[in-house]
Amino acid sequence: MLLQISYEARDKLLKRYPKVETCLKCSLCAFKDGYGCYISNYGIGVDGARFSALDTYTYHVFSPKEPVKNPNLWLCVSCHRCHEICPYDVNPTEVIEALKAAAFENGYAPDLIQGEVSNVLSTGFAFPIVQSQQAQRSRLGLPTLEPPALEDLAKIAKKTGLEDKLAKLRKKEVKG
Amino acid sequence: MTNRYAFFRGCFIPVRLPHLEYVAKKVMPGVDVELVDVKGFTCCPEPVGFGIHDKLTWTSIAARNICLAEEQGLDIITLCNGCSYTLKQANKTLKEDQELRDKVNEMIVETGHQFKGSVEVKHFMDVFKEDVGEKRLKEAVVSPLDGLKVATHTGCHIVSPPEVMDFDSIYDPIVLDNMVSLLGATPVDYDLKILCCGWTLMNYGPPEASYNLLSDKFKSMKTGGADCSTVICPQCFYQFDMGQVMASRRTKLGFNMPVLFYLQLLGLAMGYSLDEMQYGMHRVKDKGFEDKLRGR
Repeated sequence: MLLQISYEARDKLLKRYPKVETCLKCSLCAFKDGYGCYISNYGIGVDGARFSALDTYTYHVFSPKEPVKNPNLWLCVSCHRCHEICPYDVNPTEVIEALKAAAFENGYAPDLIQGEVSNVLSTGFAFPIVQSQQAQRSRLGLPTLEPPALEDLAKIAKKTGLEDKLAKLRKKEVKG
Repeated sequence: MTNRYAFFRGCFIPVRLPHLEYVAKKVMPGVDVELVDVKGFTCCPEPVGFGIHDKLTWTSIAARNICLAEEQGLDIITLCNGCSYTLKQANKTLKEDQELRDKVNEMIVETGHQFKGSVEVKHFMDVFKEDVGEKRLKEAVVSPLDGLKVATHTGCHIVSPPEVMDFDSIYDPIVLDNMVSLLGATPVDYDLKILCCGWTLMNYGPPEASYNLLSDKFKSMKTGGADCSTVICPQCFYQFDMGQVMASRRTKLGFNMPVLFYLQLLGLAMGYSLDEMQYGMHRVKDKGFEDKLRGR
């Protein structure tokens, strides 16, 4: 029996970013000791995937059947070292960020990411304000943290479409 | 002459590490830097968790923050590599790309602000390098950190992309080493100097990978002869402090490598005590390091 493997999503990715085909054959960005991608040297995927100089992180994120569903996309810190070290002038960071954007819009971002976006819009801070830290601020003579300019943030989120994106995601969650 | 800046505290320092905000306020006047509080600053927004997947909102919120400084006629000073990354990228792109600037100004028009491109965004290390200068920093040192060996960690987002950040070499960073030398301490050379702190692995991946990374990094510092490490980013600080406690439990590190925010080292060289620099709030302490500081 002839086996067929569907690579539609990957083909779409290669069509849009033809240069990343190089990443499927090369491993120079996995250079060790911080010169290249640190995930390729230290990463263990959320799904148990192991990365190495031979099985690079860039290969891993550009080669799955559906790249936007890959939970390991979010390990990339956008340090740009893969781009800096690449002799073929591929910019993997740019592609990974585009994949993250698509993943977020379609509800595949981890809860932590969605939570952080919601935190920014609802408190003005990316990280939750906890009472113990407020007490510590007070002990140090620093002002208590108040949510700043939430109205402005809401206006911006409405205009850029982020509010709609979040509403759609919430609807999806309820349905799910 | 005092240099005045709009003080962008960011999120992570005020919410998680307020003692570093306290240290900044205590130390900065000693090198003629005035931190001006500006009402209404929000999250920069944080680049990794927010910025990269919604660039228009990211740039628009950053633009609004920059506008607040513009309205005060002040350049922005940050204490964080991430805030610098976001605000510098937005500032540079919006200054250079008229089409994007018009679009972003349309996104923020209802907030009553408009981006004009009239100020600069500076990490506090940019301020030391460009505005305060070596001479003034040296003058502030009354209690040199003689004999102290320090492993520097510059971090990722303050050096890349280099065409935006324009701070130091990605592969051979020396600015922080020079700043450490100014205080009388000795920066040590170590193999894994440019390795990331592992923030995303700790937060978005299985933390075991981050523990291994941290363990290798601290061992490399120790082999280089460091008494402590120093950082200029709060997330790196958190990784090296709290992260070290967790990594140490798992990997049986066997030694402590205290981390100090560069402003704390500066404060110590200015004559403040470890207590005044809020060392007591740190998770990782080391008697050898403390004795060396007290014995100088």
